[in-house]
Amino acid sequence: MNKFTLAAVAAMMAGTGSAQATNIEFWYGNTGNVEVAIKAQCDAFNASQSEHKVNCVGQGSYEVSMQKAIAAYRAKNHPVLIQFFDAGTLDLMLSGAVEPVQDLMPEVKWDSYIAGARAYYETSKGKLFAQPYNSSTLLFYTNKTELEKAGISETPTSWEGIIEAARKLKAAGHACPFVTDGDTWRILEQFSARHGLPIATKHNGYDGLDAEYVINSTFAAKHLANLVEWRKEGLVRLAADTKAGNYTAAFNAGECAMMEQSSGSYAAAAKAFEGKYELTVAMAPMYKDYTRHNTFVGGASIYVMKGHKQPEIEAAKAFLDFLRKPEQQMSFTAATGYVPVTTDVLDVIAKSDEANSPKYATAKVGVESMNQPATADTRGVRLGFYVQFREVFMEETQKAFAGQQTMQVALDNTKKRGDQLLRRFEQTYKGKQLP
Amino acid sequence: MSSESSLFSNRWLPALLLAPLMLLIVLFFYVPVFQAFYWSLFLEQPFGGGSEFVGLQNFQRVLSDAEFWAATGRTVIFMLTASSLAVVVPLMLAIAADRKIGMSYPARNILVWPKGIAGASIGVVFAFIFNPFVGLMGPLNALFPGLWNPGIDGTDAFITLVAAHVWSGIPFNFVILLAGLRSIPPTMYQAAAMDGAGPWRRIFDVQLPLIMPQLFLTFVLEFTESITSVFALIDTITGGGPGGSTTLLVYKIYVDGFRGFDLSGASTQTAILMVFVLLLAACQFYFIGRRINYER
Repeated sequence: MNKFTLAAVAAMMAGTGSAQATNIEFWYGNTGNVEVAIKAQCDAFNASQSEHKVNCVGQGSYEVSMQKAIAAYRAKNHPVLIQFFDAGTLDLMLSGAVEPVQDLMPEVKWDSYIAGARAYYETSKGKLFAQPYNSSTLLFYTNKTELEKAGISETPTSWEGIIEAARKLKAAGHACPFVTDGDTWRILEQFSARHGLPIATKHNGYDGLDAEYVINSTFAAKHLANLVEWRKEGLVRLAADTKAGNYTAAFNAGECAMMEQSSGSYAAAAKAFEGKYELTVAMAPMYKDYTRHNTFVGGASIYVMKGHKQPEIEAAKAFLDFLRKPEQQMSFTAATGYVPVTTDVLDVIAKSDEANSPKYATAKVGVESMNQPATADTRGVRLGFYVQFREVFMEETQKAFAGQQTMQVALDNTKKRGDQLLRRFEQTYKGKQLP
Repeated sequence: MSSESSLFSNRWLPALLLAPLMLLIVLFFYVPVFQAFYWSLFLEQPFGGGSEFVGLQNFQRVLSDAEFWAATGRTVIFMLTASSLAVVVPLMLAIAADRKIGMSYPARNILVWPKGIAGASIGVVFAFIFNPFVGLMGPLNALFPGLWNPGIDGTDAFITLVAAHVWSGIPFNFVILLAGLRSIPPTMYQAAAMDGAGPWRRIFDVQLPLIMPQLFLTFVLEFTESITSVFALIDTITGGGPGGSTTLLVYKIYVDGFRGFDLSGASTQTAILMVFVLLLAACQFYFIGRRINYER
């Protein structure tokens, strides 16, 4: 052995000697200011103790993160913790690849999660599968300055009010009164939930894999047809109609006056409006004849993947404990606009002197929205190949917005194609029981 | 044959030199291809929790799915428009650059440069060029509102895609065709010109017949390549929309498999697409390739 080899071996041994901490990986999908906030939490966790070290790896998007997790799991090289978004809940529940957090950590007071956030990620028997993380819900944003310019002093709260305001804005020469991207989560799922309408039979699939879509026959169909008419009238604009080409950017730049968007966009909107416009944020609008129900929790939650050694599981638990801490949830909320969803955190915020601070604006209204009266149809969506269904819905409704088919035909097609997906999912997981 | 093999003193050396490349091809082509065919016969759970053998049921379902045929139809239309233009446009440029006209020397160089740009980057640039508000069409849209919007109108989106593809195909095809043209002995033109053939006549009766091997090569490569290489452009320009109008088969496979976690459906379509590409190339060789005279 020559000197260099000796030196290298010595260095390697020294390296292994000092690495007592258990290293685990956590994969997430967010980018932008949310990613910055996630990284800050990871650093804070690693700095707070020396026993565990979490290595947070950004994958660029929820889908990419999931693709890689699937490949990694098959190669037995998967991370301990993975963040995944709402629409993939059923895929993970039936995958056999994740350990329900409530089984893993029975001592945690999971009841402190507000019902609206729990329901989406728990089994029909009430066992929580994943720890809610970056939780959001749908809110209604307005550019108050622009509304006032058009002579609208009161922020509308109903669809009827929005359309009246939109007509005034249009009359005042405003090119883009209300903007949406026509996304499934925003215009179908959250609309159905808060109006108490089912998306599919079997309570949106909670009661069995043999559910069928009903979106073409509920009041949601009427609303979606209205959106098409309102767009023709110039009251509603799609993302592609705007100069910005992206509806959030169009709203943030002041091009559009009103939008429905996730609470997670609040921080960016507030920053863009600073010194130029006044921002209001409220619960998403209702049709006057309907009673308000809860909106779904959106965003993502963290799953613990199976097949790891005990020290790694302990590290994962410690990190999840850390993320649940009130001060962590609060700083994450302040940095992003995502909503804290445990009652203890909400209490801390309510008692603090910053209770009415704009940085917690979405927390208050978001939780209020998710805490509205629930029905068996407003717990969440538990339907197979749901990510594909969202693509189908977008494809068919875009054709309706472009005038190639009526909205009713679009929704009939969506139901038909969606049901085919459900049947195939049922067959793929034949013999498996919904937990 | 003997003179060629005598280049290597050891008969195993050629095999050894080929091995790394063969290993890569096996790992990243043959294994996935086999996997796709295998999965197409099963209903496969994404996390590998179990899979059920279903025989040809996946094929039955895909082949009776209107969406699959719509995506296939769009793929064929794209092939006929974009791939043909991606050969014809470089052909015109090559013929022009081959002539002794002003700027033809720098053009022979400059037209090759775009080869260095990745498909995804081209997509980003073209999305900007064809933006309805700030792009080339902006002034036209200001005069006739709603005339051009690839975000709403499927035909506009398709045109954008075709334009981007043709542009990205120029360098390679241009080089091949220009090389073909340059290898034609000038005496041929001179003889044709002395016999009274004008420039157009010389193109159709001398140049085109003599570069048939190059034209055939570019057509085969274009038609088979474009089916899969268009992915980067779709992903960056249109994302398959609006209303699925630019969801070609290759993009549908990606969306089904990687966004929807439908491994079996995506595998089945991959298998079908692969057979289609092989058949296409076979047809081209059978019907056109045999008639080409490679001797001069």
